[in-house]
Amino acid sequence: MEKALYNPGKLDRGILMDPRTKLLLLITVTTFALGGAGGRRCENLVPVLCMAPFLLLFTAKRFKTAIIGIILFWGSSTLLTFANAHNMGGFLYYIILGSCGVLGRFLPCIMMGRYLMESTTVSEFTKAMKKLHVSDNIIIPLSVMFRFFPTVIDEADSISCAMKMRGISIGGKHASKMVEYRMVPLMTCCVNIGEELSAAALTRGLGGEVKRTNICKIGFHVQDFIAISLCLVPWILLIVDVVK
Amino acid sequence: MDGVMTQKKTNEKLGGKDLINIGIYAAIYCVIMTAVSMLGFIPIMMPMLSVLCPLIGGITMMLFYTKVKKFGMITIITIIIGAYLWITGMGYWPFVFGIVCGLAADFVAKSGNYLSKKKTVLSHAIMNVTIFGCFLPLYLDINGYFSSRTSFGSDYVEALTRIFRPWTAPVILACCFVFGVLGALLGMHFLKKHFEKAGIV
Repeated sequence: MEKALYNPGKLDRGILMDPRTKLLLLITVTTFALGGAGGRRCENLVPVLCMAPFLLLFTAKRFKTAIIGIILFWGSSTLLTFANAHNMGGFLYYIILGSCGVLGRFLPCIMMGRYLMESTTVSEFTKAMKKLHVSDNIIIPLSVMFRFFPTVIDEADSISCAMKMRGISIGGKHASKMVEYRMVPLMTCCVNIGEELSAAALTRGLGGEVKRTNICKIGFHVQDFIAISLCLVPWILLIVDVVK
Repeated sequence: MDGVMTQKKTNEKLGGKDLINIGIYAAIYCVIMTAVSMLGFIPIMMPMLSVLCPLIGGITMMLFYTKVKKFGMITIITIIIGAYLWITGMGYWPFVFGIVCGLAADFVAKSGNYLSKKKTVLSHAIMNVTIFGCFLPLYLDINGYFSSRTSFGSDYVEALTRIFRPWTAPVILACCFVFGVLGALLGMHFLKKHFEKAGIV
């Protein structure tokens, strides 16, 4: 993964949006495109919502991520249609179904999550949560979690490489030891990194008694209003549906 | 006397270090959960999530429980896990379950002063009922759920409908609970075998 992922603040980020709008978009996409709320009424809106993350990645100048995402999305849906049209059966069909199902369904949400992470700095995120009047007890763990995700994934990748070399993987010689031999090193190194992280954060005054200030400027602009109005459509349809 | 009282009060409040710990363990748990959940796309494996998540997550959680000394930490981590499940598309039920189960688990652990082993095991089992929240929509509105999942192909839907008969709901709930207990025991075993030796407990 590129370094830009963890440090979006220093780069040209294209059109900026309020983190609250991004959160609303994320929740809308997961609820309607992935969770399938709203049923038939919202069916026509789902493709629009699925394409939204890719468009947003373009506006944030994340061309590489966006293009990879579009190719994967398009490829998986083509393969799925192909498999359905040829009436394939058996094991191979399940594999295609499984892998394409994962991609087609989750990709918009994953891309939306990527967009949220790549285009928002942790301090912007904190400020947005503060403005939503979320308690500090939730904000601090959440921002630590956002910061820590890439580290955990990175460590897990390295451990998995090392263990594959020793035959501890699915289909390897010692597959039964997988859980123990992967979990224990992962936990150990993550806990150690975490200790250092918390020492660093405490040095910078996290968890002090005083109220923390934030210099980030966030607010709603034209692009936010367009995105919010797009998000409101399926919600209104859902509410109308429920009230009926 | 007054000074002692105020000191005790500030000790009860969650400090920065506690909150950072919550974030770190939540991140590890969520990564593991995501890795396990990917198995859910093989139809047979979907109910197995209620087995694997508590079992493997137990290792992380037992390590987390050793850091818990104050009320609220278990509640917050369960809410965060529920919110994470919501964001990754399991619907809002895990979030609702997270608040309720997290509070219940916290009260159970508190009654043992966060030291009692039996209470810790029970608390972990209650916490894992959150995972049942992912499956709840399947039983509440079975046709609605599948009408939106036709893009997965009719075979997938058929396989799932065969698995999710109404009587399986209590079984899955029980699975979450029982494997929560087993996961906690496994975690404690690992704690003794590895982590205490490595000096990170």
